[in-house]
Amino acid sequence: MDVLHNLAFGFSHALTWQNLLFCAIGCTVGTFVGLLPGLGPLATISLLLPLTYSIPTTGALIMLAGIYYGAQYGDSVSAITMKIPHASSIVACIDGYQMTLKGQTGLALFTAGVSSFIGGTVAIVVLSCLAPALGEVAFLFGPADYCALMLVGFVCVSFITTGSLLNGLAMCLIGVLLGQIGTDVTSGTQRFTMDLQFLADGVGLISIALGCFGIAEITKNLDKREERTPFNGKIKLMPTWPEFKRIIPSALRGSAIGSFLGILPGGGPVIAQFAAYALDKRFSKYKHEIGSGAIEGVAGQAAADEAASRTSFIPLMSIGIPENPVMALMLAAFIIKGIQPGPNMIASHPELFWGLVASMWVGNCFLIVLNVPLVRYLLSIFKIPYAVLFPSILFFCCIGTFSVNNNLDDIFTTAVFGLMGYVFVCLELDAAPLMLGFILGPMLEENFRRALLISRGDFGAFFTRPISGTLLALIGIFIVWQLTLFVRQARQASALDKKLA
Amino acid sequence: MNSRNLVRGLCLMAIALAFGLQSLRYSLGQFSHPGPGLFPLLVSSLLLIVGISTVVRSHFAERVPLSFNLKNITLILGSLVGFALISEHLNMIVGIVFMVFFASFAGKKYSVLLNLKISAGLIAIAFALQKLLGLNLPLY
Repeated sequence: MDVLHNLAFGFSHALTWQNLLFCAIGCTVGTFVGLLPGLGPLATISLLLPLTYSIPTTGALIMLAGIYYGAQYGDSVSAITMKIPHASSIVACIDGYQMTLKGQTGLALFTAGVSSFIGGTVAIVVLSCLAPALGEVAFLFGPADYCALMLVGFVCVSFITTGSLLNGLAMCLIGVLLGQIGTDVTSGTQRFTMDLQFLADGVGLISIALGCFGIAEITKNLDKREERTPFNGKIKLMPTWPEFKRIIPSALRGSAIGSFLGILPGGGPVIAQFAAYALDKRFSKYKHEIGSGAIEGVAGQAAADEAASRTSFIPLMSIGIPENPVMALMLAAFIIKGIQPGPNMIASHPELFWGLVASMWVGNCFLIVLNVPLVRYLLSIFKIPYAVLFPSILFFCCIGTFSVNNNLDDIFTTAVFGLMGYVFVCLELDAAPLMLGFILGPMLEENFRRALLISRGDFGAFFTRPISGTLLALIGIFIVWQLTLFVRQARQASALDKKLA
Repeated sequence: MNSRNLVRGLCLMAIALAFGLQSLRYSLGQFSHPGPGLFPLLVSSLLLIVGISTVVRSHFAERVPLSFNLKNITLILGSLVGFALISEHLNMIVGIVFMVFFASFAGKKYSVLLNLKISAGLIAIAFALQKLLGLNLPLY
């Protein structure tokens, strides 16, 4: 009953007029920006992060969380109606767009909305039961264990977000190196500052985020020069009762798998969507229809998407280690607000933790109102031509960078990272792991040095401690598996060449 | 030479060397008392290994041409830098107008009327941000 009591306490904070307003603004703005082509949750959060500076802590975090799941949801709406695949909603394109082609856009959107609601609700139950318990476990963690956990995160995120371990790992490492720029906390040495005074405090997070996601995305879209046809179809929202009955089992399956995958390192919405989709293909009563526009194909992945985007808060708030790039950005937002997420956070800021959890459910309600009855008005955003959009996004990038320190020079830094982000895009390197590396880099170094200091320079400490030993063994197995896969593929390719010759 | 995989590997190696060589100039310390240079050196060596394996792999992989469109990125970055410089020396309203007019060269068609409308809209938003959210924008 402790949980219920805590949740009631959380709702008493989430349901103040102010916080309700922040939650509503977050969900609405997040959905709108998420609908825009090329802007996924990462870009949306980094664009809107500066807006929360002048808001009180609890409200700001509630708003950011709203922006996050709003953007996540907006993504799937644009995937269903227009087949604009963002990184975070690839699966919604498959059956969702098929349903649009069949003239069932309304049904698909209704399914996605209701399933997201179910997924979110399940995830919140998981979150409120599990996060405090996991926080207890986190007290057992030593510096070596934190290092190992972060490395597991790097490997998983690299592999999952980019599909190529080598490229993803490279981006993580570059991120870690960028995080080294500035004054070394332990010795006071200025590192990699090139004697530039403004680099002494390190590179600004917002500059990197807006450069790599805002500026680079805009330029990439301009290069493509695609003509988008605005969606003009009619929408019939309400499903029939038999259709509605098909949503529920699939959504529950998706919620379960999404909640579970959201907690794992490297997990999060993308992997959860794929897993839920695969699960439905295997176990659904209507599995023969999936792929050609089945309700189950939309319901399962939408539920998993929302569930995972909420449960991925668990490792961040109970251990203090973000497990995907979006959570890394949230960690930065917590720190900007002067709060260090970790095992002590729930005890020292209960109003923040439980308020945030409760606000997620409030956000759920906002989203379902926003996306089911009002969705036809939302879609009018697609009628805005890109010629208007891109100068506006550019403007918000500038304002966002400027308002961090009220310093116009920061815009030059953003421009430099915009160029870097564009080069990465051209080289097919995904910038998301870079973000994770950049934010975790300083934490990794601190824990690494502390672990070595405690063990008097003995690297064995990383392998003999039970937690870090297990985690490092997992990384080892994973890397060996990838290597054998790589060699086998090369062999198969050369065998194929011989056959052709 | 014109292969995306090869260039990617070379870029990674270049970044690794830039950071790695620089970190040698800071004190490395011992493993029991790590200095400020040790961690960056380790990380950049790892990155160097990743870069080298990318280069090696590019010999076996199919060649993919590298596409780099200099015009758009130059226009976008130019409009950013121009915005910052003009806002610093004149004011932000002129900066916004410049940014819109300069950046839209990257778009498909160029329309002065549309640009005027966008500028007016953005200036209005800037005023709203200043008055309502209390952002400290040097608008005039």
